[in-house]
Amino acid sequence: MVSATSLTSGFGIWDPVLWVLAIIIGLVIAWILWSSGVSAFKKGTEQARPYLSGNAEPPKGEVHIRAGNLYWGFTEGIKGYYQRIVPLHTGIMTDYLLWMFWVAGILLIIVMVV
Amino acid sequence: MIETLPAILIGAVLVAVFSIIIGLLLMGFDRIVAARMQARIGPPLTQPFIDIRKLLAKENVVPENAIPWLFNLAPVIALASAITILFYLPIAGFAPVLSGGGDLILVMYLLTLPALALVAGGFASGSPYATVGAQREMVTMIAYEFPLAIVVVAIAWRLAAEGISLPFSLATIGANPVWGLVGPLGAIGLLILLVVLLIVTPAELSRVPFDTPEAETELAGGILVEYSGKNLALFSLTQGVKTVAMASLVVALFFPYRLAAIAGISGFLGAVIDLLFYILLITLVTFISVSVIRVAMARFRINQVVSVYWIYLAIAGLGGLLLVMVDQIMGVV
Repeated sequence: MVSATSLTSGFGIWDPVLWVLAIIIGLVIAWILWSSGVSAFKKGTEQARPYLSGNAEPPKGEVHIRAGNLYWGFTEGIKGYYQRIVPLHTGIMTDYLLWMFWVAGILLIIVMVV
Repeated sequence: MIETLPAILIGAVLVAVFSIIIGLLLMGFDRIVAARMQARIGPPLTQPFIDIRKLLAKENVVPENAIPWLFNLAPVIALASAITILFYLPIAGFAPVLSGGGDLILVMYLLTLPALALVAGGFASGSPYATVGAQREMVTMIAYEFPLAIVVVAIAWRLAAEGISLPFSLATIGANPVWGLVGPLGAIGLLILLVVLLIVTPAELSRVPFDTPEAETELAGGILVEYSGKNLALFSLTQGVKTVAMASLVVALFFPYRLAAIAGISGFLGAVIDLLFYILLITLVTFISVSVIRVAMARFRINQVVSVYWIYLAIAGLGGLLLVMVDQIMGVV
């Protein structure tokens, strides 16, 4: 059964209207549970300091994760791939054009054969 | 749609309550069996309920470095989005509440929402531990999406190869159990894909060995370090609901069977039998993919998490997909 407001691609279906309804129901249930708890705490006390295993909090700039390090685990996990792929990005336009022609040629062969 | 609106509302509330209760029971079950495997007695089955009740009665500390509105909003969005996933999944032989409103591709995207809310909450905490935890959660999320997508595509491809329309629809998958469509080679491929999905599950749930975002012994709770009281209670509930969602996804993809239908029992008794059979299946999935794995293994480092999913499980998943494809082609020839 596909609803009237569904978006279909022939393979996939998504009804954004129903999803909005669903998330509203979810939010209401979650909010009811959330608001049944206690909201109070002792503002401005030691309680509200960030937990750092008893160490003094370093300046914020020193603990900030920079964008370049955000995906560290990812780049480290498949560094074998990155070690090969990064040097290929030479910044020279003719290199990129050569790559484009190579890939287009290979794709053309695949399309023609298949 | 107007005519079905009350039915959707009632169904959604029932599914939400059911998933929260079963989710907490599954968490209690996991704690008991993990304790027994470690020669401990463990807590009672209802311990997660007691924990939630206690957390709701505790102070809800908002750290002074935090962004308060985002810090408080993240757990609400996490639980809401986790509940929403179950509206699209068949439960206990019943069609999804929003059947026809979305398919497997949507479920895959919805599975990322609770994790994204957790990441937003971690970054909004203003704590170095939480920031590192949030960064790791993002990397973990990127890591397990690839093998998960391979499993989903493999099953949909096999259904599409049979000429079945809407192959990503969970109703289609439920009506055409994939084991019945394949030969021996395809069955081996499906078994590999099932194992891949069972290993994706602990990462979706941030459980050992893929709990690097929390890493209690290393990051003191990481992404959740600053959360307490009702906010932490909601994240715990999210964990329970996501456990039900992931187990239900495994059941919906690989075991969409109804015991009552097989035994020829219908009516109320049939519905009860289907419900009990479904609970048994999701408990088994939780036991294998959460309890056994977390007891048997130690935590991976974040770069190892990426290697496991993008190299080893991706290769295994592609191998499974290839076997399913070869099986289909050989069947046609």
